[in-house]
This record gives sequence, C-alpha cells and structure tokens, in this order.
Amino acid sequence: MFTLPQKNFRAPTTCLGPTCMQDMDSSHGDDLEGECSRKVDQKLPGVGDPAMLSSGTSYLSSRGRMIKWFWDLAEEGYRTYHMDEYDEDKNPSGIINFGTSENKLCFDLLSRRLSQSDMQWVEPSLLQYPDWRGHLFLREEIAKFLTFYCKSPVPLRPENVVVLNGGASLFSALATVLCEVGEAFLIPTPYYGAITQHVCLYGNVRLAYVYLDSEVTGLDTRPFQLTVEKLEMALREAYSEGVKVKGVILINPQNPLGDVYSPEELQEYLVFAKRHKLHVIVDEVYMLSVFEESVGYRSVLSLERLPDPQRTHVMWATSKDFGMSGLRFATLYTENQDVATAVASLCRYHGLSGLVQYQMAQLLRDRDWINQVYLPENHARLKAAHTYVSEELRALGIPFLSRGAGFFIWVDLRKYLPKGTFEEEMLLWRRFLDNKVLLSFGKAFECKEPGWFRFVFSDQAHRLRLGMQRVRQVLAGKSQVAEDPPSLSDPGAK
Amino acid sequence: MSHRSDTLPVPSGQTRSQVLRDQSIYTQLLEVARHVQQTVREHFVQLNRQGLLQERRHTQAIREQEALLSHLLCQMINLLQSGATSGLQLQVPLPSEDSRGDVRYGQGTQLSGQLDPVPQLSDCEAAFVSRDLSNRGTDISALYQSSFQDYNAYQKDKYHKDKNTLGFINLGTSENKLCIDLMAERLQESDMNCVEEALLQYPDWRGQPFLREEVARFLTYYCRAPARLDPENVVVLNGCCSVFSALAMVLCDPGEAFLVPTPFYGGFAFSSRLYAKVQLIPVHLESEITVIHTYPFQLTVDKLEEALLKARLEGKNVRGLVLTNPQNPLGDIYSPDALMKYLEFAKRHDLHVIVDEIYMLSVFDESITFHSVLSMTSLPDRSRTHVIWGTSKDFGISGFRFGALYTHNKEVASVVSAFGYLHSISGITQHKLCQLLQNTEWIDKVYLPTNRFRLREAHKYVTAKLKALEIPFHNRGSGLYVWINLKKYLDPCTFEEEQLLYRRFLDHKLLLSCGKAYMCKEPGWFRLIFADELPRLKLAMRRFCEVLEEQKQDLIVKQLEDAMRE
Repeated sequence: MFTLPQKNFRAPTTCLGPTCMQDMDSSHGDDLEGECSRKVDQKLPGVGDPAMLSSGTSYLSSRGRMIKWFWDLAEEGYRTYHMDEYDEDKNPSGIINFGTSENKLCFDLLSRRLSQSDMQWVEPSLLQYPDWRGHLFLREEIAKFLTFYCKSPVPLRPENVVVLNGGASLFSALATVLCEVGEAFLIPTPYYGAITQHVCLYGNVRLAYVYLDSEVTGLDTRPFQLTVEKLEMALREAYSEGVKVKGVILINPQNPLGDVYSPEELQEYLVFAKRHKLHVIVDEVYMLSVFEESVGYRSVLSLERLPDPQRTHVMWATSKDFGMSGLRFATLYTENQDVATAVASLCRYHGLSGLVQYQMAQLLRDRDWINQVYLPENHARLKAAHTYVSEELRALGIPFLSRGAGFFIWVDLRKYLPKGTFEEEMLLWRRFLDNKVLLSFGKAFECKEPGWFRFVFSDQAHRLRLGMQRVRQVLAGKSQVAEDPPSLSDPGAK
Repeated sequence: MSHRSDTLPVPSGQTRSQVLRDQSIYTQLLEVARHVQQTVREHFVQLNRQGLLQERRHTQAIREQEALLSHLLCQMINLLQSGATSGLQLQVPLPSEDSRGDVRYGQGTQLSGQLDPVPQLSDCEAAFVSRDLSNRGTDISALYQSSFQDYNAYQKDKYHKDKNTLGFINLGTSENKLCIDLMAERLQESDMNCVEEALLQYPDWRGQPFLREEVARFLTYYCRAPARLDPENVVVLNGCCSVFSALAMVLCDPGEAFLVPTPFYGGFAFSSRLYAKVQLIPVHLESEITVIHTYPFQLTVDKLEEALLKARLEGKNVRGLVLTNPQNPLGDIYSPDALMKYLEFAKRHDLHVIVDEIYMLSVFDESITFHSVLSMTSLPDRSRTHVIWGTSKDFGISGFRFGALYTHNKEVASVVSAFGYLHSISGITQHKLCQLLQNTEWIDKVYLPTNRFRLREAHKYVTAKLKALEIPFHNRGSGLYVWINLKKYLDPCTFEEEQLLYRRFLDHKLLLSCGKAYMCKEPGWFRLIFADELPRLKLAMRRFCEVLEEQKQDLIVKQLEDAMRE
C-alpha cells in the first residue's frame, strides 16, 4: 500500500502524463516522459527535470513535487489558450478552441430552462449535510431517467445510484475501490486521455492499452474496431509484464472515434470480461448525443441479460449530453452494493451542492422539455455543425471517421506528415495553434498511428467557419512545408 | 495483537455481564457489531501498516485476527437467531445487508473455514470481505460505515415535530441549524440566480476567478489581514475535507505524519488517511489544571516539543502541525501570543502549519476577540502556513460543499489546484457563493448579529441545564458545541463504559459524539451540539436528562450489589 511515490509515478508509461489533461483544459500537447525532459529545457525554464525533483528547496513532499511537475506542464497549455481566447468583439484574432469537448450549441435553451422558477427552490435539507450517495429525490429521478433513456428492460433502482461531482471523480473513486495501487484497467485506444490522470492521481491505478488500428483487415470490418482477440492479447501482455488487470473501461459512444458499439459487440466484450473476472466500467457520457438516428445506439443497461451484472458499472453525466461541463454532476449505476457503498464512502470528498442536486432532479424530471424541446433541437444543431465540418474536410480531400455520435470528428491528417512520426504530428499541432486554432492530436489519445487529430465541431457556426478557415490555411501552407523538409527538422520552428 | 484482549466482546467478565445484564438484545447486538467493526478496522490498519496485504494468508497473526472476526460474527448471528430480537426494529448495519439477494458469495472467501461453530454462517462471513472490492476499497467502506452508521441511522429516522416525534435528534453532527431561515431567504433573492455560459463550461480548476477574488476580499476583511490578500493564493474546492486531503497529498509522502493537539475533530483522521496515507500523531492534552496549565486542555509548546521528539525517536517523519482555531471540540480560541508560539515552534522544526479556521465567525461571546492567523503582521514562516476556511459552519450551509485554502506559498496553491477537477464546485454554486460573500452589509448587519444572538441563547439554555445537572463542561464562547464531562456517570471510568453510555443515548434517540471519536485520552467526555432550534433542543435535553437519570439508577444498583457482595 505504501509504494514509494517515485515508483508509482514511474511505472506506468504515461501515468499523470500532461496530455491527458487536454480535454479538461485545452489541448496542450506534450507527452511521454522522454519528451518531457526535452520540453523542459525548451519551454519551461522554471520547472526542473523530474530526476532532480528530489533535491532543491521545494516545500512539497516528493509526491507533491511530482504532481506539480506534471500539473505545470498541463497548465502551460491551459494558460496559452486562456490568455488568448477568441472573442468575436474583444479578441477576433484569438485562439478558436476545437480541442475541448464541450457542447456550446444549446446554451440558449439551457439558460432558459435553468432560469425557470422551479430551479430556484431552497429548503433547509438542501443546505445541510446530505446523504453522501446523493439526495434520495435525485437518485430516484436518475433511476427513472436512465430506465427511460437507456431503455432498460426492468426499472432501475435508486439504491444502485451514486451521485458525484463529475466523471473525473467517478473514475477516481472506482479506480480506488476496485484496484490496489499499481493495478490496471484495460482500455481500447484511441481513448479520452484524461482518464489516465483520473485513475492515477489519488488511485495510483494505471491503464493497459488495447491498441486498435485504422486499417481494415481480416475480421475487422471497420477502422479502429475493438475485437475480443485484441482484448485477450492486451490482457495476456499485461500479465506477462506482471501487471494485474482488474477491469476494462469502455466508452460508448466512443470518444474520440464518434462511433458506437453494437449490442452484439458489447455482449462479446462483457462475456470476455466475465471470463476473466474483470470489472467493466462503461462510460456512456455521450449517450444522448447520438445525432444520427440510423446509428442505433444501445446502452449497456438496455441489454436483456448482463453477463456479469455485479461487475458492470455504468457512468453517465450531464456534462456532454446537456452541455454543462461546469455543473459538475455525474452518476454511477451499479447493481453491486459493495461497490456503490464503497464509492459513496468517498463522496464526502466528491459531493455537490444540495441546491444543484435539486436543480438536476428538476431537469431530469422534465421529460416534456427534454423530448420535445431540448433533444430534437440539440440533435439538429449537432447535425448541422457536423455536416458543415465534414463537408469542409471532404472538400479538402481529408479522410475522417465519425458515425454521428459525440461532438467530434476523428480526422486523418497522415498525408501531411511526410515521415509519419509523432514529432511531425506535434509540429503540425503547433502550426495549428500558431495559426490560432486549437486541436487535439492523436498521441493525446494514445493512438498508435501518428497523424490523427480530433476536431470538436459542437460550436457556434461563426466560430466553426473561422476555425475551419484557419485549418485550411495551415494545411495549405503545410503542404508547401511538407515539400520543404529542412524546416521540419527545426525543433524551434514557430 | 495486543489489543485483542480489549476488543473481546464476549460478556464473560464479571463487570461486563453486570453492565450488559439489564440491556436488551438490541443493545448487546449493537455492542458486538461495534466490536466487530473495530476489529475489522484494526485488522486493516494492521495489514496496511505491515504491508502484508499480499501475503496475508501466511501470517499467523492475521489469521488469528480473522478467526476472532469470524467468532464475533457468530456471536452476532447467535444473538439474532436467539429469537429475542423479534419485534425489535433492528437498525444494525449488518454486513449481510450489503449483499442483499446476492448469491455469489460463499466460496473462496477470506474468512471461511477458520472457526465455524454456526454452519449457515459462511454467507454472512463471506459478505464481510467483498471479492469485488480492492483491499483499500473494503477498508474505506468499513471505515466509513463505522464512522457514519449512527449518522445514517439518524438520516433514516429523523425527528420531525409532527411526522416523527420519536425520531432521532442529532446533537452529534456539527451543524448550525439556527439561521436556516435567514440563509434560505438570502439564497432566494434574485442576485443568486444567474446562468451564464461560462458557469456551465469547464472552469478554472482553482475556482472561478470571480470567486477567488471574493474569497480574498472576504478573508482580508473578516480575518483583519494587515495587507490585501491575493486571489492567486486562493484555491476553492468542494469542502474543507477535500482541501485537507489535497494538502496532505502534496505536503507529505505516504507514511509521513502531522502533529495534532488532541482532542481533535475526527474528520482529519479520515481525510489524512483516506487517499494520502498520512498519519496523525496526537499531542495529548489534559483536562487537569496544573502550575503550567492555566486552563483545561491547554496546548503548550512543551507538549508539542515532547510529541515531536517522541515521534522522531520512533522514526516518524513529521511534516506539519494541524491547528483548529476556534478549537473543535473544545470551543477554545488561541490567543495571538499562544498562536505565535506554536508557529515559532513549527518554524524551528521546519514544519508546515495547517490552520483550520472554519469556526472563525462563530465566536458568539462578544467579550472574546478571535485572531485569525491571517491577521498577524509577521508570520514566522509564511511559506509553510496554510489556512482553511469554508461556509459550512459559519453560514450553516454544510450542504453547499465549499472549502477554501489560503496559502502564501504559490507552489502549494498551484499544486493543490491539480486536485481541482476531483473536488470541483458547480459554476452555479460558485456564483451563489460569490454573491453571498460579497454582501458584507447583509452579513454584518443582518446575518452575523442574528447568528451570534441565537447561538448565545441556545448556548445559555444548554449550559443552564448542564449546570442544573452539575455536569462540568468546557466552553469558551465559540463554536457550535460544548465539551462536557460525564465521568461521574461511568463506573469504572473506561472507554467501554463511555461507549455504553453513548449507546444508551442512541437508544433514547439522541445522537451525541463521545470523546473517543476525538481521540481524547480521558474517557467520559462528550461533545454536544447546541446550535439547533429551541423546541428540538428542549426535547433533546429532556432525553439527555432521562438517559443520565437511568444511568445514575443503574450505578446505584450496581454499587449496592458490589457493597452487598463484600
């Protein structure tokens, strides 16, 4: 239990890696410890090399110094963006953010709904210490909500619900109660990189990657397809390295692929997990952001029979589907009372205001507004924004993936990297940033092929237009640069 | 395993059987359950301490402890099956409750096959250590359940003047319920309700700049800081326990320690252990007044030095000192001189000082002046002094989940904000908090005078009752509680008896906190919250008197019996 912090941080390849912060703040873009030390010299004169952290005049513990070192790297990108954020009137030449996965299309609807009088309720019990699992009235509402929207064959139960202040906290709590220090979860890559940080900071749990390929071969019917064979292989590999795997994390709808798992696939993955007594954490945070109906999304809670209900844990939050990442609300659904109770034991540290809990209950209860106003409008706007960006990409002859779920398009810019290296990917990313458009690069999602980028399209039309214009400029210029290799070898190229 | 003899719950000893004789099966069962939980807790503490988690099966000592656990569980089941409990509304959080309708337990478990006098027990035993949780998950769950089981019982069966007159009254949890009317009114005013785009998007993880600015201004004013405090030194998280947890993470490595004057708020122990694995080393204070100690439970630098030396001799790496001012549970306030001495002690030894000032505006005795550590013109060690404050106590809104860190050390502020996304506050709540703190006029003219007046009145009522009962108490005009001495009701004066008295209060639907929860080294102390509405407080004090009367009668009978036997 008391593993030395140095060891904890060194063991996982990218544990606490700075890039995993990127969805939360902005796309920064450094990764890999090897690369970090190089960057330190270049970009962060104030920050020491991690190897030297043990010495010096710091007031922090060595654990604290290590956390700070990683955090500073992430913060640097955060500041870059926030110091120069685009504003139509005040800063028209500021940075356009296509990197952070937020839905900025429906604020008008939300602000109107959240300003209604039923949202302003205050009563004593909301101001006092709560039931740490979440107020019962809210858990009841969540159970009904999930039963309806996940199309559960049986009514879901409030006692299986735990409420926390965001998906990050939930990942952290699950990692802590399901794994010992140094144990791992399998995760198919590319994946939402911030999870690395979520499971590591408190939990000291690492991720074991299931690498997927863009190429369609043999049994794979589509790019980046997850198969049981790949899961089995990754599991064997982890064991051979002496890493104990406790579970699998599945994100469905997928981030960054914008894809969904079919019920049959889902079933296969769950059976695989059961065979190896692995927990499955299914993150369904984009479940209502499937804007193409033909996609046929199915929640894991809709399955007739779960292979291992006691080891299947579902996450959902309002951050994405209701465009409220600043509200800090997430929920766990698990039939396993030990897990629910253990996570609730941590809720003292991850709780949210009673008043917000009340507001969430009101929001989730308002089925008329959700079904007749919010979802149709949200989906229409997502679709329009998606159409615009994907047509722009087509016009540029750029291949991309996106099946109509989520806020992003997974874009293949490999043809712009002559050598196909991650260094080039990074340089291209920087070129975008220099041209005031922030994207996320594939390495941040632990994609094994250099050259993939995630474009978030859920933004207002004028910002999308301007952002795409800047993207075009960079790619046009980049093509020329690509013919002129010497500039690539210049690491200081700006 | 030296604690084994203490934890054996078997009512075999003469004294115990006498005590337990008149008690219901219900109480006995609760008692055994308590012991089981205690043992489980110690079990895991033991495992953690020795790093034996991997090879637990091979360790004789551990096996013994598991056997004991198994034995205790059998006892509980026997009590349950004795039939004597029929008709009783049991609210014991039995382990089996956690595995309702769950048949997967029962094979390959950690405890079975050790000592198994009741065959049908295996399921119950197995449920105690879940296969699905990590060891630390089980530990966290057990620790939480033992700390909160009574609180949860209260949550399920709260007193209500019309709907549930027989429900629990909670004078155990430190909440100010006296000004909810004012707060509810304030929070419903139109300035509170604002939905801006920025509030719904990913925030600055240190806290929204507008809120940090307001917190800096608020603390400058109410702590009487000699210079304006800097918003860049503020980090806001969802509660003071989150702030404490994050501080423990970044100031200590696992296994390192903080000194803490004892009795102290038990939540610190939970917070430091939970994620950070930081140990709290008690600096035990005594109730007795001596030449050196001019008032009870006085903290002196000698005591700090002594505790530090002892800890260092034991090989502990002490990284800091935790002070609560105003003190909880004592209600004491440190004088500027005393505070300065503690800070100088810390500086001398390169210790961080975490000063928790969460009760700073709950000083209701007007003859007392509270001096915040932030009011000092020169701090001995600015870079190692970290202040925690929140709205839970002073504004009676513990359900808001807000805690703030103020530290002059930019490095600490920056790294604590790395924990922001795990302890973040809703943008909408941040707006409300900002509005609340901004309105100094309302706070100074309406809220604080009313709050102090009501605290004073409630305090007066409770202390008058205590005086009438000739119960010594310790309270110096701040906080929401009085620290009372019920030693005279314990015979012998042990922690076991303290626990039994605590149970007796619970049986009468009254929740108090006992001294053990604050690591007080003298048995018999209780903390009683008085910041509750008068009708409820009156009823609570009636129940309180009844319990003590009953306890007194029992003591008389017992003493008579003892005398006759001699």
